[in-house]
Amino acid sequence: METVNPLIFKADINRIFDEKVAMANAATGRSRPVQKQTAKTSRTRPVKKRKLFSKGMGLDLGFLILVLVLLTIGTVMMFSASYPVALYEIGDSYYYLKRQMIFILIGVGIMLGVSYIDYHKLHKFCSIIMGISYISLVVVLLIPSKTNVHRWIGFGDVFTIQASEIAKFAVIVFLAHWGSKYFNKMQTFKYGVLPGCIVFGTTAILLFLEPHYSCIVIVALLTIVMLYLSGIKLKWLVGAFIALAIVAVIAASTGMLTYAMSRMDGWGQALSYTEENKWDTYQTRNSLYAIGSGGLWGLGLGQSRQKYLFLPEPQNDFIFAIVCEELGLIGAVIILLIFALLVWRGITLSLRATDTFGKLLGMGLTSQIGLQVIMNIFVITDWLPNTGISLPFFSYGGSSLIMILAQMGIILSISRTANIEKA
Amino acid sequence: MAQGPTQRLRVRTSLLLAFILIIGFGAVLCRLSYLQLFMGEELQQKAIAQQLTDTKVNAKRGTIYDANGEVLAQSASVWQVVMAPVNFDNDEERTIVSKGLAEILDLDQQSIFEKTKKKSYYVVVKRQIDSEQRKKIIEFTEKIDKENDIEGVISLLDDYKRFYPHNELASNILGFTGSDDQGLAGIEYQYDDYLTGKAGRIVSAQTANGTDMPFQYQDNIDSQDGNSLKLTIDARIQGICEKYMAQGIIDNDVKNKGVCIAMNPKTGAIYAMVTANGFNLNEPFTLPKEKQAEIDKLPKEQQDKAFNEAVSAMWRNKAISDIYYPGSVFKMVTASMALEEGTKNLNSTFYCSGSTTVYGIPISCHQRSGHGAENFKQAIWNSCNPAFIDIGQSVGAEKFWEYYQAFGFSEKTGIDLPGEADDMFFNEDGSMGPVDLAVASFGQNFGITPIQMITAMCTVANGGNLVQPYIVQQIVDSNGNVVKNTEPKIKRQVISDWVSETMCDILEDNAISGCAKNGYVAGYRIAGKTGTTEKIVQKGKYIASFGGFAPADDAQIAMLILFDTPEGDSYYGSQVSAPVFANIMSEVLPYLDMETQYTEEELAKIDITADSFFGMTAEQAKSKAEQAGLNAVIKGDGEKVIAQIPQTGSKIPTGGTIVFYTDSESESDTVEVPDLVGYGPDEVNEIALSYDLNVSVTGSFTADGCISDSQSIEAGTAVKPGTVITVSFITTGTND
Repeated sequence: METVNPLIFKADINRIFDEKVAMANAATGRSRPVQKQTAKTSRTRPVKKRKLFSKGMGLDLGFLILVLVLLTIGTVMMFSASYPVALYEIGDSYYYLKRQMIFILIGVGIMLGVSYIDYHKLHKFCSIIMGISYISLVVVLLIPSKTNVHRWIGFGDVFTIQASEIAKFAVIVFLAHWGSKYFNKMQTFKYGVLPGCIVFGTTAILLFLEPHYSCIVIVALLTIVMLYLSGIKLKWLVGAFIALAIVAVIAASTGMLTYAMSRMDGWGQALSYTEENKWDTYQTRNSLYAIGSGGLWGLGLGQSRQKYLFLPEPQNDFIFAIVCEELGLIGAVIILLIFALLVWRGITLSLRATDTFGKLLGMGLTSQIGLQVIMNIFVITDWLPNTGISLPFFSYGGSSLIMILAQMGIILSISRTANIEKA
Repeated sequence: MAQGPTQRLRVRTSLLLAFILIIGFGAVLCRLSYLQLFMGEELQQKAIAQQLTDTKVNAKRGTIYDANGEVLAQSASVWQVVMAPVNFDNDEERTIVSKGLAEILDLDQQSIFEKTKKKSYYVVVKRQIDSEQRKKIIEFTEKIDKENDIEGVISLLDDYKRFYPHNELASNILGFTGSDDQGLAGIEYQYDDYLTGKAGRIVSAQTANGTDMPFQYQDNIDSQDGNSLKLTIDARIQGICEKYMAQGIIDNDVKNKGVCIAMNPKTGAIYAMVTANGFNLNEPFTLPKEKQAEIDKLPKEQQDKAFNEAVSAMWRNKAISDIYYPGSVFKMVTASMALEEGTKNLNSTFYCSGSTTVYGIPISCHQRSGHGAENFKQAIWNSCNPAFIDIGQSVGAEKFWEYYQAFGFSEKTGIDLPGEADDMFFNEDGSMGPVDLAVASFGQNFGITPIQMITAMCTVANGGNLVQPYIVQQIVDSNGNVVKNTEPKIKRQVISDWVSETMCDILEDNAISGCAKNGYVAGYRIAGKTGTTEKIVQKGKYIASFGGFAPADDAQIAMLILFDTPEGDSYYGSQVSAPVFANIMSEVLPYLDMETQYTEEELAKIDITADSFFGMTAEQAKSKAEQAGLNAVIKGDGEKVIAQIPQTGSKIPTGGTIVFYTDSESESDTVEVPDLVGYGPDEVNEIALSYDLNVSVTGSFTADGCISDSQSIEAGTAVKPGTVITVSFITTGTND
């Protein structure tokens, strides 16, 4: 029996999977596939037959609505922020909107598709995902780049993907997998701290070579979050912070952070600039101008002035500055509230997952959204150096958007499975 | 049954949630509130400061018109090339742009390249480029955008450039402007405040690229274009004066320029003011070739100084900035004083032996043989120095000084031009010795400006009123409203009406039969006085002058001409300046529509207009021509007139010859022009008649003893019979 799935996420993976399932079905006469994972076999399964895809109305509608609301607001704001740049630099005001719409269609499709995939499969593919992550992190270093920054892998000119997007996901999946597998041994150094350190360490080194420091920080934070949730001893966390600080001091003192330092020049001093560092802090300064101009009520939707080429690339990392300028503090707070609700909802629904893997995975992916929002706003408000952290659902860019929507799909899948199994 | 999470995971999840939502989002919220509420105003101010562009809009400098609305100076639109070097991405782009601009604008590539490295939005590359260069720049900008993907780097801004459509016309009075559109000389300098206008500002919301944002965000303070000036100068008269002055300089080998001032004696309005030769106002820093060559020969270190001296000499308005001894032209002033004071009258008699002695110092008359016995009028006609010493002495030094002041010589005339010089009297307090008085009587040894002299002459001519000369009639704003209109200003009455009338009579006769004969123009009642003086410092160098006005009984135009250092055949005013005066007046008076009052003798020589005889039979034509007072000559064997010379509508002197052609062969007949120079009027006519040629006369030909001086068509030239040759006459034997 051939199964053709209209919502293919990773065609090859699925095909291999499908074939195995088909073979298993044929052998057992439509009984559920043999589960090899210890985590799953150890648990009592519901009476319902396990199907290839989890179906039904179990999907968490609240979370989905929050995602779609953020996506809608984000797209409107991305269009507002990008049209002067698109008009003056490209000659087509709709340039970014048109592309983003395509990414959204693909991304939402993938999200819904993924929500139907049983997230438990990720257990099995954990090592494959890690492999893909490392390969892409190495490949990206080999691709020649004009600016000495190696971050993107291009598939033709049409689609490029940031290797770090995969890396963040891979780290979360791995640590969720490991944490759930050895949930009871996490208190030990060997099972609790060491694997996390190895995965983070190797990923961080590769990211360091790109270089993509902000991603290292996010990966580090995610690692800490995942290990913390998995239940490692708190003394290791304290130790990790101390180690991180030492590494940072060493890196800074040996001048290895040249690029980051150059981006950090004038960090926190965007407003008190001199002739020399005037251009280093130009983007951040104009971001502050935009945020300040918004005041409490904002200039009104579409009325930003800073987007008229003062704020470089307003559609990317600094989009929230334009949001603040147009919608004011009120608008910014409402959007942050929706983000907070999303994080709340994501974490609480993850907590309802029937297995530890689901809990850890869901909470890790949700934390990533929350951390990225916080760090993005820290950057645009000059509290962190300007090193490239995008705002989920808002910033322009295909690969990160699709990646995030796929991750949202996984969270939805977790919610669906939890609801089905509870039912 | 689903297994619940462990308690630990629950607790840690709660803590994580709290950490992200409360600490993380809380911090974000605090930061945003601080920036938007507390820092908001300050940041907004800074944002607005960079979003609003304050552009200076240059005001258009006012236009200068002549009395008839002809444009003398105008500001034309030009452009500034401006770069925004911040928009360059790399040195390759900088090289392409600097190379292209250097080529189009004729500038040094390296210096432009340096400018492209500045991190600025506004660097001026070149000002005042014309529309041709502008077109090339636009093409270049499009090309690099397309081919090299360089944009937002070059832009063009509006600018203005001063343009003088007549080049040299009135150069010494108009002046010119500098690179910042500021007046540097002449009227441009004097009326700079009026002409400049007020620069405007455009405050607008602009993108960082300098284009306007689509917002209602603009505040304009309009530039106010400069006021325009309407001069009293008449470009036609100015042109006529300049033409003859330039000719006079060539003819008399004048070494140090000439001055010609023409003004309305009643109002003081200046019709023309010439310092010959002028310069091209569109290139005020270009010296004549010979002068430049002279400077180039100097050692390097002296060149700058020599150049500066040469250009300032070139720009100098000699009519008001230089002083000279007025010489015999001043005698009309001395004579007026004596008549007014009654110390002499028309019946006073004088005797001139050729020289006289004042306090032991011999002073000779220009005519060494002496003028013999003469009355007051004759003393003026003869321009007799001993007689005028007598007249001056009769007035006395004290009165002389009073009148000197009254005639305006001790003060500036107040003409609205920069650089008017002060006079130079014997002593500051007006006291003078007896010898001083003697020579001052005939205009020697004190210096005045030409403008003072002509103003005093106007006083003599207009009934005795000293007027203030002026050159700007009206100031009109850019909307055409009159800002200021100059009313003629009479400073005071200096002499009585009757003295003025008497002097006008005497001076008119002087032009007919006195020393001013060469200034006479047939048909117009010219009054005039000649003058010749040795220069103030340089002995053996002379200034030849002539002052006159017309019509004598109701003066409408007064004119003073002087040539500084003529080194031709003669240096006398009567020989050098008077003919130029006559030439100018013979064109200016008809232009001003002055009524002609010919004497009978003049009427006989007046030109008539040739009718058309075309198509008549030879006989008809001949009889008709003879009725009109012409000699008719028939050429060819045909029946009808197929051509005539002079042609229909052209001028023929009364009694001249008209030639009729009846067939085409005869049309090609020519005669050789005879030499007509050096004969009396009658002889010239006879010769011309014998050649079937016509003669039109100009210059001083009414008086006895005049001889032809030049002819319009050179002797030996082959012309058709009937051609009109203009012959100019000059009266010889007057030496002042």
